[in-house]
Amino acid sequence: MKSLLKAENLVSYIGPYTILQGVDIEVGHGEAVVILGRNGAGKTTFLRTVMGLVHTRSGVLELDGQNLAGMPTYAIQKLGIGYVPENYGTFDLLTVEENLRLAMWKEDAETMERRDYVLDLFPDLKVAYKRYSKTLSGGQRQMLSIARPLVNNNKILLIDEPSKGLAPVIIERVALALREIKKTTTVLLVEQNFALACAVGERFYIINEGKTVENGAMENLIKDKELQAKHLGI
Amino acid sequence: MSIRINVADQMGSKKMGPLALVSLIILVIGMFVLPRYLKNAQLIMMSRIFLLAVYGMSYDILRGYTGFINLGQAIFFGSGVYMGVIFLNIQNDLTYFMLAILAISALSVIGGYIMSKIVLKTGGVVASAMITLALGEIVRSIAERWRFVTGGQDGLPMRASRVALDPLFETRIGAYYFALVFLIVMTLALRQFVLSPTGRVLLSIRENEQRSRFLGFDTNKYKAIAIIVSALASGWTGVFFAVIARFANTDYLSIQYTLNALLITLVGGTGTLYGAIIGSAFVTWINNFLLTLANSYPGATILRFPMLFIGSVYILLVIFMPYGIMGGIYRLQAKLNLGKDK
Amino acid sequence: MGTLITLIVSGLAEGALIFLMASGLSIILGMMGVINFAHGTLFLWGGYAYMFSYYSIRARVILSVFPDAFQTGTQGGILRVTGVQLQAGQYLPFSQELLIFVVSILIAVSVVFIMGIIFEKLFISRVYGNAPAQILITLGLQVVFTDLVRVIWGPNMIPMSRPPFLDGVSSFAGGRIAHYNVFLIIVGATVAIIIHRVITKTRIGMVIRAGLQSPENVQALGINIRKYFTVIFACGAALAGLGGALYMPLVGNVVSSAGMNNQILAFIVVVIGGLGNFMGSFLGSIFLGLMGVGVAVFLPAISVVANVLVMAIVLVFRPDGLFGKAVNKS
Repeated sequence: MKSLLKAENLVSYIGPYTILQGVDIEVGHGEAVVILGRNGAGKTTFLRTVMGLVHTRSGVLELDGQNLAGMPTYAIQKLGIGYVPENYGTFDLLTVEENLRLAMWKEDAETMERRDYVLDLFPDLKVAYKRYSKTLSGGQRQMLSIARPLVNNNKILLIDEPSKGLAPVIIERVALALREIKKTTTVLLVEQNFALACAVGERFYIINEGKTVENGAMENLIKDKELQAKHLGI
Repeated sequence: MSIRINVADQMGSKKMGPLALVSLIILVIGMFVLPRYLKNAQLIMMSRIFLLAVYGMSYDILRGYTGFINLGQAIFFGSGVYMGVIFLNIQNDLTYFMLAILAISALSVIGGYIMSKIVLKTGGVVASAMITLALGEIVRSIAERWRFVTGGQDGLPMRASRVALDPLFETRIGAYYFALVFLIVMTLALRQFVLSPTGRVLLSIRENEQRSRFLGFDTNKYKAIAIIVSALASGWTGVFFAVIARFANTDYLSIQYTLNALLITLVGGTGTLYGAIIGSAFVTWINNFLLTLANSYPGATILRFPMLFIGSVYILLVIFMPYGIMGGIYRLQAKLNLGKDK
Repeated sequence: MGTLITLIVSGLAEGALIFLMASGLSIILGMMGVINFAHGTLFLWGGYAYMFSYYSIRARVILSVFPDAFQTGTQGGILRVTGVQLQAGQYLPFSQELLIFVVSILIAVSVVFIMGIIFEKLFISRVYGNAPAQILITLGLQVVFTDLVRVIWGPNMIPMSRPPFLDGVSSFAGGRIAHYNVFLIIVGATVAIIIHRVITKTRIGMVIRAGLQSPENVQALGINIRKYFTVIFACGAALAGLGGALYMPLVGNVVSSAGMNNQILAFIVVVIGGLGNFMGSFLGSIFLGLMGVGVAVFLPAISVVANVLVMAIVLVFRPDGLFGKAVNKS
């Protein structure tokens, strides 16, 4: 299997601090992979490292065989990596429409088609289309944040903890949307909410103290209570 | 981050080695003997270096130890110079010199307190730099308009014909010792301040203000203390400077003299205290050099604008040598020590 | 009543000028997180570039039309300007005067725009995210480029008259209104409207609004925000340059200390308006302009300290400024 996103013994740092100390993750075309781990284990940092927001010190980081280390963030995104940051990252002073337009690589018919698809996926956004995003609820912001990269033709979608701070009812709706999205896009999801992770993920990785410690098929993790207790505290 | 803390250790907790102590003693003795071999102009230059070194150190207390950038520091220095000239113009003796010191002390404490009240409200480095710049320029322009006291743009010369503080010393050598003793006393005093518990808190504020606040320190109170101590030291230096310069004008209050302080600390290295001595030597030397050059080439208009060159040096320093000379040395030492530990 | 109208018009004109300075400063601060201590120098360069172009072009035009015009002598430093006086009864047609004025303004704004690009590329781009270094570097640029003005055009004050077609005074409701003041108000209002439209309606405006909140998340949408930074910094500089060019004819002379003085006014506006708050800068500028004129007439004794006093009071009671910060960056 030729992998789409590949990290091998990845080490990254912020200032003087080394945050990732050896992460091995591979995501194949069309897969839906979940990264699990406790708070502060380095899950978010891994996504940020892929996006070039945290600097790579050593190791391999490739998309479709192309080296990502050292590239500026905007260029990495243009290679086809959609990114849904932690805590939404939606822009308060922009309307829903503007948030989506800002994300578009170009405003052609194909993009507009994808936008319409996204708005059908999240009807809330269609209703609030002209509203400033600071007036949206947390759940709506999360939907906007997920919708934003989908207006482009991405190779892979990185999603950082979409369940954070949301009510269970909303999390269910997000889960439904993600199941829909993963039919057409490769998804790499960082998640603390085990139910959401199970609903979306086909394979899993567990990061602990900046290192990948376990991986395998999602069914195995669901069965293996001992592993869950050890790394996830469930 | 770790290197910075080593710099602090370098300054304090570590005992000075015997070799360093001996060379320091030799240096100080040398400084006391030196004036016998210097011309008048050189004596004046050395005295200026000593005094501006104290000014630089007083600035370093703020900039280096709290990270606070005060662009109105010259208010205190310039007021000191004015106080010195004004009081010695009433009567040229030690009593009036001490009165000038008293007056500037009161002024610095009050001024520093008011400044800290205004500036520390907003918190950020950026806002406080903007506000202190505005405060400084306003004080300068008040001084410029208040001709009756300050002589306006013409400045205020000291009336004493040749020597200030007449009975104390009759030649420039006296002024030299006067400045040297002040430098030594102030270095010891400011070192003591930096090493005191208060100084330690200031350092921790620079490293991580939020952490210090969580540890229960009222960081604004400590910053206010630093502003006031720094204002006091700058003010005193100003009064001493008046004795050497025998002239006060609004330049001493202006951004130009704040920039001098910044440059002195930058050259020496911010947060190193003693670096200011090296910085002061450099800044005074380059000023003198440009002055001599301008005198020998009277046709070259460009040489009449020293800030053009000094400003350029300053920009290059910020870009290429952000830790200054002493800062660089400490860093190197810290690295070597790190190597030894391994 | 008449005096009041005169005061309000000249106060608004002052406010319009301050706004040209403060708006650029405010956007640069809000979006790029950079406080530009060289803003006053850019203002100054706008003024001197305008003065030099206006003098040079006008002298050439006049001498080509009226070879017998009286030359009043040259002044300046490395670059010198020659004053030319028309004889009684001679005048240039309105269209020519207008052209000279507009071209000079355009030259001034372009010079400062290019300076802005150079400043950003060469200096400011090295210190993003490092506030102390930004302050130090821009302060150094302020000092160096202010002295450079003194070297190039000399340290002495150079008189600067208003273009003849804007020089008149009219009576209105008992007040005397200088045409130049009205012109400044129109320019200020136009610029404010243009900036507002750019911010609300264009893509660059979307980037600015998004960048105010999080430059990082803008990057993560595939946008090279550094490129926008250069453009925005240069536009902010050009606004300061325009302010400088329009300021000199208002006060009737060009002098190198004008840069720092106006920069401090702009700083005060940015502080009392709320850091990075564009609307706050707009209102703050008008407030400061009106207050400046009012104080100068009714309380001249405190005119020097009035602005700083206002700033101090605002800071003590509302540390985030009268109109609040633009966005709270997390």
